[in-house]
Amino acid sequence: MRSEALSPSVFKSKAGLKIGYGVLYAVLTIVAALQLLPLVWLFLFSLKNNQEVFNLPPLSLPTHFRWENYEKVWSAGNISVYFLNSVWITVAASALTIILGSLTTFAMTRMKWKGSSLALGLFMVAMMIPVHSTLIPLFSIFNKVGLTDNPLSLILSYVAFNMPITIMIMLGFYYALPREVEEAAVMDGCSVNRLFFQIVLPMTSSVIATTGIINMIYNWNEFIFVNTFISSDSHKTLTVGVQNFIGQYTTDWGSIGATLMISILPILVMFLFLSNRIVEGIAAGSVKG
Amino acid sequence: MDKVMSNKKIIALYVLPALLLIMAIVYIPIVLTAYYGLNQWNGIGRMKFIGLDNYAALLTDGTFWKSAWHSLLLAVFSCASLIIYLAVAMVLATRIKGANLFRKIYLIPMLLSSVAIAQLWLRIYHPTNGIVNSVLESIGVANPPAWLSEPKLVLFALFIPILWQYAGFYILIYYAALKNIPASLEEAAKIDGASALQIAWKIKLPLAMEVIKVTVVLAVVGSLKYFDLIYVMTDGGPNGSSEVMASYMYHTAFRAYDFGYGSATGFFLLVICLIVTWVIRKITAAKETIQYS
Amino acid sequence: MFSKKWNVLLLTMCLALFAAGCGKSDSGTGGSASKEGTSASEKVTIKFMHLWPEGVSAGQNKIVNQIINDYQKEHENVTIKQEVLDNEQYKNKLKVLSASNELPDVGVTWAAGFLKPYVEGNLFAPIDDLLGGELKDKFVAGTTEAYAVDDKTYALPLEFNIAPIYYNKAIFKKYNLEVPQTYEQFKGILKTLSDNGVAPIALGNKDRWTGSLWYMYLADRIAGQKTLADAIGGSGSFKDAGLVQAAKEVQSLVDSNAFVKGFNGLSNEEGKAEFLNEKAAMYLMGTWELPNYTTNEEIPKEFRDNVGFFKFPTVEGGKGDINSWVGGPGVGLFVSQNSEVKEEAKAFVQYFVTKWGEQSVTGAGVIPATKVDTSALDLPPLYIDLFNEMNKASSITLFADVQMPANAAETHLNMIQALFGKAVSPEKFSEEHDKAIAKGN
Repeated sequence: MRSEALSPSVFKSKAGLKIGYGVLYAVLTIVAALQLLPLVWLFLFSLKNNQEVFNLPPLSLPTHFRWENYEKVWSAGNISVYFLNSVWITVAASALTIILGSLTTFAMTRMKWKGSSLALGLFMVAMMIPVHSTLIPLFSIFNKVGLTDNPLSLILSYVAFNMPITIMIMLGFYYALPREVEEAAVMDGCSVNRLFFQIVLPMTSSVIATTGIINMIYNWNEFIFVNTFISSDSHKTLTVGVQNFIGQYTTDWGSIGATLMISILPILVMFLFLSNRIVEGIAAGSVKG
Repeated sequence: MDKVMSNKKIIALYVLPALLLIMAIVYIPIVLTAYYGLNQWNGIGRMKFIGLDNYAALLTDGTFWKSAWHSLLLAVFSCASLIIYLAVAMVLATRIKGANLFRKIYLIPMLLSSVAIAQLWLRIYHPTNGIVNSVLESIGVANPPAWLSEPKLVLFALFIPILWQYAGFYILIYYAALKNIPASLEEAAKIDGASALQIAWKIKLPLAMEVIKVTVVLAVVGSLKYFDLIYVMTDGGPNGSSEVMASYMYHTAFRAYDFGYGSATGFFLLVICLIVTWVIRKITAAKETIQYS
Repeated sequence: MFSKKWNVLLLTMCLALFAAGCGKSDSGTGGSASKEGTSASEKVTIKFMHLWPEGVSAGQNKIVNQIINDYQKEHENVTIKQEVLDNEQYKNKLKVLSASNELPDVGVTWAAGFLKPYVEGNLFAPIDDLLGGELKDKFVAGTTEAYAVDDKTYALPLEFNIAPIYYNKAIFKKYNLEVPQTYEQFKGILKTLSDNGVAPIALGNKDRWTGSLWYMYLADRIAGQKTLADAIGGSGSFKDAGLVQAAKEVQSLVDSNAFVKGFNGLSNEEGKAEFLNEKAAMYLMGTWELPNYTTNEEIPKEFRDNVGFFKFPTVEGGKGDINSWVGGPGVGLFVSQNSEVKEEAKAFVQYFVTKWGEQSVTGAGVIPATKVDTSALDLPPLYIDLFNEMNKASSITLFADVQMPANAAETHLNMIQALFGKAVSPEKFSEEHDKAIAKGN
């Protein structure tokens, strides 16, 4: 069965089938190459100096591999502090978003109460405001409660601003969950908490992985809030490292490339790991469903 | 069943943390933004209350409506591109060989920050040594356009990287949605002799419909408030030909020091998002939620 | 059991969020400085926000740290806390901070139009007392005035810049070109270069102020410095025949392919790259570029040695003279009006400005706003020549976007891009300027 998922009946003959597959793979491979290009480009970019970045075509090799860009980036200031901050803030904010988002989505889609559509509406509207409109009011709120220059201001903002999109993505999945499972569970005298944590959460592990990836990418790459709310170097995150190389009159592109390369590695590893969970989630879900 | 599933205490416990958080962090700024919009304020000195003047001015502000049109165009293109992403996800979700690898590779651009993507595409579009123009010149195009400085082309030139940037995001969501469909349904259909296309059209598509509706809303709202690449790549130029609502808001508030007007723009953007989303919900609400039976 | 455990957990989380949202944290990160009094023996923290990140402004960053270290050694009770942001983020943050009245004790500001709203909002402290004291007569004439509102000075300048046209001597030599004295000769050069397939002028006009330099010079040379100043000040008009002529001249430069391809879509960085790569022969830019053509080791020496400069040529029949420059002070230091350590902050600014003047010449290769004796220093000839030019300037017109109030400056910059892109006529260009300037702020 496995490799015949594209049913043979689409293609009239064996030869047709082969050509069909051939074309499909050719297209898939070309697209894959296009999608891989940015990573290759970024790598080459990180080994060039400003002249080469501007002068040579994007995918050409530098005349001399400037590994010193990496050295420069690594020794310039607090990269390791930034790095650790990035990791824990990203993980904390993403985990919190997903737990709170799952709870809310579950209550809004599976439980019966009057305000559920209103709550849903509130979450949706929260998605529609441009970030720059919120900077001044948000800063003054955090300032009043003494949270400026505190990583908590970042975590709270990340959770709040990613919550709507997380819930929106989860909605579609929760709507599609079979009702019989919970009906059966409730019949058996299962509590709502137990139903949610032991049955529904595992069934939604693929959407958890999906929103997890999305949240982590957003939080990892965010810099507007960091720059606005944080002033001490000890609380800043890795995206600030990139900005260290942007100046008033000049910008050091090679070093920016090197910082970007360094900062993409953890997120890439995390992505490859979580990406597999999407498939595993199905297996777990289908056993129980 | 109903009694268990409408336990008020549990509902409050589940919904309130998230709700209170967005109330504090998102809604207070929204309300304040609407209020700043009622003032003449440069963001520094005293505010002067001027009622609806800013909003009235916005209604007749040609630059604003031009940027609103650009945002709307982006929304249309984003929605159209969803079809392609869905098709890709469908192919990847079938168990063809290497699907797993392809899927991972396809999502890589999504991992890059906007700064990196903007830099890449600036090099691609560079008028003299960019990839696009190098290729065009090598196949004999005498004077290829400078993509980011031609007022007529710039907007569409920007759409390509924007759509490309989000491809991974939607493919990921669709892929997860399709994978979430119990394999038993597909098996059953196969035994009944359905072709792959039939399975896709008659079983997978309807089951993924809720997710598709959501992505339409996400694409539209995301497009209407889109800012990042446009800001870095053209800053809304030349002469406002790639200005979108969010960049216009930024320019008035942070560059021209007209924070009152900028806030009004920001709030108006939210209103436009609301209207468009409401229309979409109306259109798509016709179809009943599909349940497994 | 199970359900209870989870309820408790959720409740705790709820409470934690609430506490975070409502409770005033007492970790002491709030105020702008330590609250202790101002007597010399007590500990004082001065917050200092600037825009010289280590990565890219290495020279300046080093000087800043050097000065801070020295200052802290000399004043043991003082701690200077730095916050560094890049230019764009710096401007945004300053805006956000001022809306909440939370400016750092000392920060970086720009002159005239940028500074005015902060002064009117009572956020910057007047620092005339510093100018009367140790710093008296230390500044180059005309620099501190740009930071004055209603006869009070609100910031002290650090750099001073003028904008020459840098040119590539090798390219000029190849096509037998001479440095132009008049605009006619200049146009001849443009023609020769573009006939030979060399882009005459590097320009990245996505940033807009880059194109503004060209208009400002043409306006100065054709209509004269006073007409231009009056028009910007609001007592004259941009509809002056000379100023309209200058706008027309900009478009005729565009028509004659004087600028690199796609200039309106290129950033200053990208535009400059064409000059650095020797694909374009000329580049009009401020003296902050000097290190790139003198001491910057990352740029090939052969290229650096090939860069010369000339003054913007005079236009026949025009009212401007060749020693009139577009330029002005760059950034300056302000002291926050609401600072709790205002006196200490002022003392630090005075120290900083003095030391900066001594060190920036050799350390960063830029021209400071304070007077320096260059005869004793070993400096590159290009630097010396420009330094001397600056001292014999007949007038210096401040960069338009710095001079105008923010709102009018935005209109000016947008109109510049439109003018270069031929999206507006010179007449409409002038009209929009008058409108924006009449509107004020």
